[in-house]
Amino acid sequence: MNNQQPVTIIMIEDDEGHARLIEKNIRRAGISNDIHHFTDGTTALEYLQEAPDGPAHNGPALILLDLNLPDMSGTDILGRIKADGNPLKRTPVVVLTTTDDKVEIQRCYDLGCNVYITKPVNYESFADAIRQLGLFLSVIQVPDLPEA
Amino acid sequence: MVRLTLKNIAVTEAWFNRLVVGGIALGFFALLAAGSAAFQAVRQSQYHNQWINHTFEVERAIANFDALIERAETGRRGFLLSGAPNTARTYDEASRQLGPALNRLRDLTRDNIRQQANLATLIQLTQRDLKMMNISVAQVRAGHRDQAVKYFQDTIPLQMMREIRAQLGQMRAEESRLLAIRDNAQTDTLRNFYVTVTFAAIILLLVAAGSIWVILMYTRDLTASRDELRLLNTDLEGAVRERTTDLQRANDEIQRFAYIVSHDLRSPLVNVMGFTAELESATKRLGAMMDKVEEIAPDLVDKDAQLAAREDLPEAIGFIRTSTQKMDRLINAILRLSREGRRPITPEKLDMNVVAQGIADTHRHRLDEKGIDFSVVGKLPNITSDRLAIEQIVGNIVENAIKYMPPDRSGGRIELRGHVEGPRAVFEVADNGRGVDPRDHDRIFDLFRRSGMQDQPGEGIGLAHTRALAYRLGGTINVESELGRGATFRISLPVAFMAEQGAIA
Repeated sequence: MNNQQPVTIIMIEDDEGHARLIEKNIRRAGISNDIHHFTDGTTALEYLQEAPDGPAHNGPALILLDLNLPDMSGTDILGRIKADGNPLKRTPVVVLTTTDDKVEIQRCYDLGCNVYITKPVNYESFADAIRQLGLFLSVIQVPDLPEA
Repeated sequence: MVRLTLKNIAVTEAWFNRLVVGGIALGFFALLAAGSAAFQAVRQSQYHNQWINHTFEVERAIANFDALIERAETGRRGFLLSGAPNTARTYDEASRQLGPALNRLRDLTRDNIRQQANLATLIQLTQRDLKMMNISVAQVRAGHRDQAVKYFQDTIPLQMMREIRAQLGQMRAEESRLLAIRDNAQTDTLRNFYVTVTFAAIILLLVAAGSIWVILMYTRDLTASRDELRLLNTDLEGAVRERTTDLQRANDEIQRFAYIVSHDLRSPLVNVMGFTAELESATKRLGAMMDKVEEIAPDLVDKDAQLAAREDLPEAIGFIRTSTQKMDRLINAILRLSREGRRPITPEKLDMNVVAQGIADTHRHRLDEKGIDFSVVGKLPNITSDRLAIEQIVGNIVENAIKYMPPDRSGGRIELRGHVEGPRAVFEVADNGRGVDPRDHDRIFDLFRRSGMQDQPGEGIGLAHTRALAYRLGGTINVESELGRGATFRISLPVAFMAEQGAIA
């Protein structure tokens, strides 16, 4: 029951450059967990909910979510993940976006996002934030999954 | 089309006025004519009546005399035949009245020469008859009845009476003739009266009909133009509504556009910035390696490669970095403006003196640092508006005044004044700073535009933001200034903010 499963990082980010930067910084912070990268919401949700090796059926995960996706709004994905009855409800979600709009941030927290990181142009602080995220990852409490 | 209609109305109105005045004058004239005709007719009628009555009176007098003389004759004959005293009394009474009766006739016919002539003959005849009658009556009284009868027979009284009757008949005929003449005159008068009245009535009827027609025409015209106006009005309202909706839509579009553009522009910027940092760290590593290579094997060092690693790359990266940072600030400015445009306005009562004090307190440190005297002149008018927006507007201008106060200027002064102009409150922020070149008075309110010496940091956003806010509150902002002589920024705001007053900002 208490077998330590590695945390899978699921990154939903349509900008390849951002994805690469995020990944680089995560690796630089010394985190070697698997990173699954999705560039659109539909496939990401499909993986999250349906895939046999996805977090809904298999193992703990951390979701890095960009709010601006081509096919759907990140807040929609957030709302679905955090909806009552969803097995992923307790999965931590880190919102990573360029929006620093207060209302938007508020809305994300209301929907149940765990951390909100603005992608700043000032790269150093962004890298810092990602590294902090690495620390956060290392102390993350992964909820026990119900026995299958 | 509007002008044409209005012109038509004007023409109709002048024409109508003239026609109405003419009609009324004509009507009054007809009434006056009818009235004077009636007056004249009544007067003439009275006159004629008087004469007709006179004729009747004459006729009555003639009849009276006729009866008297017959009675006298009857009395005499009776007395002659019977000698009865009562018949003598009858004769006496009648004959005594004959004189006055004749007198009366004479009085009545004094106006008529013909009747006077007739009357003279009658008097003669009567006197003769009366004399003979008196003689016979006196003979009977004296007891000589036979003598009296003989006298009666001699004097042929029947002949006498016949003459008198003929004379009376002549007088009656004369009166009848007069009556006929007067009757005719009376009828003429009446006819004239009726003709005049009928004529007047026709004129009045015509005037009335004409007036009614004109009024109907005019009313129809008025109704038509009113309907047209109403239609135009409705159209206008509709047009305004449509235009407003269009504007609102266009504005929303711009807002959304600004938001999306600024938002989406940041995305690639993150990449540019991020990979620039990557480049930088790579350059550092390259530089370190170059150092090492130089140290270990100096002959391997290529001058160009060294220059590239030590100077070209860091310089390029530096430019990229400052440019992206500037771009980020600009994008943030647009984002802020667009966000500000979408913020709901919540009007509340504002004590502007308190607001001004708050602004002064916010900038107290910098004011003291530059030795600037900030003063609020008197009591500022209170307004009902959005607190945050007002604070930002006034705060921005005060901040600019502080920022652009030349550091070497002693006795720097910023003054905040206010007064009410009708439904608007006007606030002025006057300083004695470096001023704004008149050529730039409009430009400084544009986004990213600045004026004068670029010796202060800034992106040219503050005043653009301030003006956008003022527009949103239904206000305006302008500047009066001369280079080197300070500037006065004038903000005109509605005393009470109404939702529809605010420009679609």
